[in-house]
Amino acid sequence: MSFTQVELPRRLFLKQTATVAAGLAIAFYLPSGVAASDPKAPAPAATFEPNAWVRVLPDGTVKLVVHKHDSGTGTQTALAACVAEELDVNPMTVQVITPENPFFDTYIHPVWKVFSTGGSTSVSLEYDRLRMAGATARALLISAAAKQWKVSPDSCTTQEGCVVHSASQRRLGYGELVGVAAHLPAPTHVTLKDPAQFKYIGKLRHKRDAAAKVCGRFKYSIDVVLPDMLVAVIERTPVVGAKVVSVDSAATLQVPGVRKVIAIAGRPDVLGGNQEGVAVLAENYWAAQQGRALLKVQWSDSPLARFDSDELAIAQALALDDTHAQRVSAMKAGDVDAQWPTAAKLLEADYRMPYKVQNPLEPVCITAQVQNDGITYWGGVQVPSSALEAAQTVCNIHKDKVTINEMVSGGSFGAREAKYWLFEVAYLAQQAKVPVKLMNSREAEMRSLFMHPATLHRAKGALDAQGHLTALRLEAVSPASPEQWEPGYFERPDHMDYSTTEAITAWDFAYRPANLDLVWVKHESQVPSGWYRSVSFIPNVFAVESFMDELAHGAGQDPLTFRLAHMQERPRHVAVLKSAAERAGWGQSLPEGTALGIATNQGYTSFIAVVARVSKKDGVARVEKLTCVVDCGLAVSPGGVEEQIYGGLMWGLGHALFDRMDIKQGRVVQSNFHDYRVTRMSDMPAVDILVLDGEPSKPGGVGELGSPSVAPAIANALFSLTGVRQRSTPLTLG
Amino acid sequence: MIEFTVNGERRELVETSPSMPLLWVLRDHLKLTGTKFGCGMGLCGACTVHLDGVAVRSCQLPVAAVAGHSITTIEGLSATEQHPLQLAWVAEDVPQCGYCQSGQIMSAAALLNTGTAVTDDSIRNAMSGNLCRCGTYGRINKAIKRAATAPKEA
Repeated sequence: MSFTQVELPRRLFLKQTATVAAGLAIAFYLPSGVAASDPKAPAPAATFEPNAWVRVLPDGTVKLVVHKHDSGTGTQTALAACVAEELDVNPMTVQVITPENPFFDTYIHPVWKVFSTGGSTSVSLEYDRLRMAGATARALLISAAAKQWKVSPDSCTTQEGCVVHSASQRRLGYGELVGVAAHLPAPTHVTLKDPAQFKYIGKLRHKRDAAAKVCGRFKYSIDVVLPDMLVAVIERTPVVGAKVVSVDSAATLQVPGVRKVIAIAGRPDVLGGNQEGVAVLAENYWAAQQGRALLKVQWSDSPLARFDSDELAIAQALALDDTHAQRVSAMKAGDVDAQWPTAAKLLEADYRMPYKVQNPLEPVCITAQVQNDGITYWGGVQVPSSALEAAQTVCNIHKDKVTINEMVSGGSFGAREAKYWLFEVAYLAQQAKVPVKLMNSREAEMRSLFMHPATLHRAKGALDAQGHLTALRLEAVSPASPEQWEPGYFERPDHMDYSTTEAITAWDFAYRPANLDLVWVKHESQVPSGWYRSVSFIPNVFAVESFMDELAHGAGQDPLTFRLAHMQERPRHVAVLKSAAERAGWGQSLPEGTALGIATNQGYTSFIAVVARVSKKDGVARVEKLTCVVDCGLAVSPGGVEEQIYGGLMWGLGHALFDRMDIKQGRVVQSNFHDYRVTRMSDMPAVDILVLDGEPSKPGGVGELGSPSVAPAIANALFSLTGVRQRSTPLTLG
Repeated sequence: MIEFTVNGERRELVETSPSMPLLWVLRDHLKLTGTKFGCGMGLCGACTVHLDGVAVRSCQLPVAAVAGHSITTIEGLSATEQHPLQLAWVAEDVPQCGYCQSGQIMSAAALLNTGTAVTDDSIRNAMSGNLCRCGTYGRINKAIKRAATAPKEA
């Protein structure tokens, strides 16, 4: 179909992904004890381990490996279901384990080439090979049974963990076939199920582990307890780049339960490395926090000590006129400058968004122990490659000696993609020579300094006499998202940072005026930036969808009609827009003091449109309802898709109304939920989510799809309601 | 020495500092880790437990203040783990990461304990002190309504 090409992945990796899928590259798993130099050595018969994701024990136990971190995103259910569907076992009752060896080559992210979870890619990029893994295991088990029964494999089928030969009414459990199956050669090809036959994919309404989570039995990183373990809290530098001048720990060491005070050197040599800090290690968190409160640390000056986030917008505006600024073209067509003089109407606008912080409800927490030349981690490790880097860089530990006891985390939203805490805990575990559990307080979490960067967008558009958009320029001033994580991208031929230009490159940007100039202006503030759910989609979509609304009003046109008129070959985009508008009653008469606003975005090969309904009473506006329609292709777990979208809408509401982190004199101002507001139940409007039955062959990503359109939809609705255009978040309702 | 009851069991603390918040006594001394830490300032609700049946934030409550009182944690909500709220939470597939859910359920249980009619308004009033960053508010609302109409635990 025509849109397949349009959707070609934005991070230049679809090609690789396609190759991986086409090549049946489910890389056969080498059980421990089998030398890599002898790949043909048979697996020991004790367990059938046909590939990286399937383990069958002789007692019939089936274990499926999920190699992606689950931070509440449901990956342990959805990914297991992809394997289970083809293997013909129940994904809700089968055992799910995390990788025995997290650094097994096959688990590497197919695009990023590191061991990591993120970018809304876990289901969308793993779907094919996980199904193949399940199907391969099933084919081998069928072959084993057929061999035993001396019948054709084609005459056998499977049923919930058993191979069945209907003609002779024989059946063997998978466990009984382990010995034979383990020594069969890998099949050269496998047949995948017809999606019409799916029992689980596309039908999942529940997630694993809910029963344990509602009884307090489910264990998180914070619940890890080991013999002799000490709990560490860290007084980190209040200003980026400041160094410890002196530490007076006398009072701290008097606190009952406090055992050690350890200074941690900053790692400016490491991209994304930790800042300087002083750790207090104690028998428990309460003692450690009391000890930390009594620490007297003198910090050096830092060039960032004069940094003020309010002044950043001025510096960002100056970057627009700076001929030396690094400007990277994200999308270009025609000649916008040639259109300005002849335009019937010109519009210009600046949009701003402030620093934001992730705030997972479980503050970052990780336990590590260094012994016998190795390191072991316990906790939610979203990026095993960073745990490995910490082990190698800080402790000089070999890759083979790095063990991760991976756990579900209490949320991430980007916080667990930072690496500073892994560096800190590796250092502390090495120094303390006992297991160390590093715990962030909420204040530490909010001031960890790897925030979502503040941005400035400048837009200019030309309308002709018919109200058609003839030229559009958008300049997005922002630091590079991943510079600290992906050194060298600027040396790539296109100089492109795909994580900073989300929504404004050819595959994600929906509108096609004849003259187009979408530019990223790289402006680094020296405040480190971190990953944050939906990354640069948030400010980019806010600017694009707000400005499209301004242009529509400038042209005297309906904002929905105006958007549709400027989309070309965007059938899925058009469909979600029209559907959301219809559901929300777009174009119908509204009660007095009520208005609608619309916005849309695409990403992760999925599409969304959001309509916000706002009303005003006693001079105060409120968001009454968010209506949202999603096309994510195949929804592997429809219940999971809905909750990811709901969560995304909630985050978008936060961006619109609350999220704002200030930095004064280099110091983060906010510290806890009293001064950094996040969305509460009482803030939530009515929510209506429709997930369309999308293209059934491919799942798109949804984790980061929901939030970006919310803030512009609300801003657009508020404009319709009040006549006042708001171009900076958080928006004002008063 | 501080004496109080936790989940029906009498507990005596001998060496614990009276100013230590109940949260850390529960988690670190009594090994009841179902109650979670989120903010340390009573702002997020992850540490919610019942003090004589009323929802309180245990991170802000010095353990000395609960002397002679009865505490219920998520572990003690139901001996069979079949409290109507727990069943409803599973039926509605509420938990995402699940970290806030002990506190959410304890707040919801306190609401049901009061006998207040379960409406959108009473749910909002009872639950808005409990933060969820994943976005389970919609399903929490449904689950509380489901539990409110469910037969009582046997």
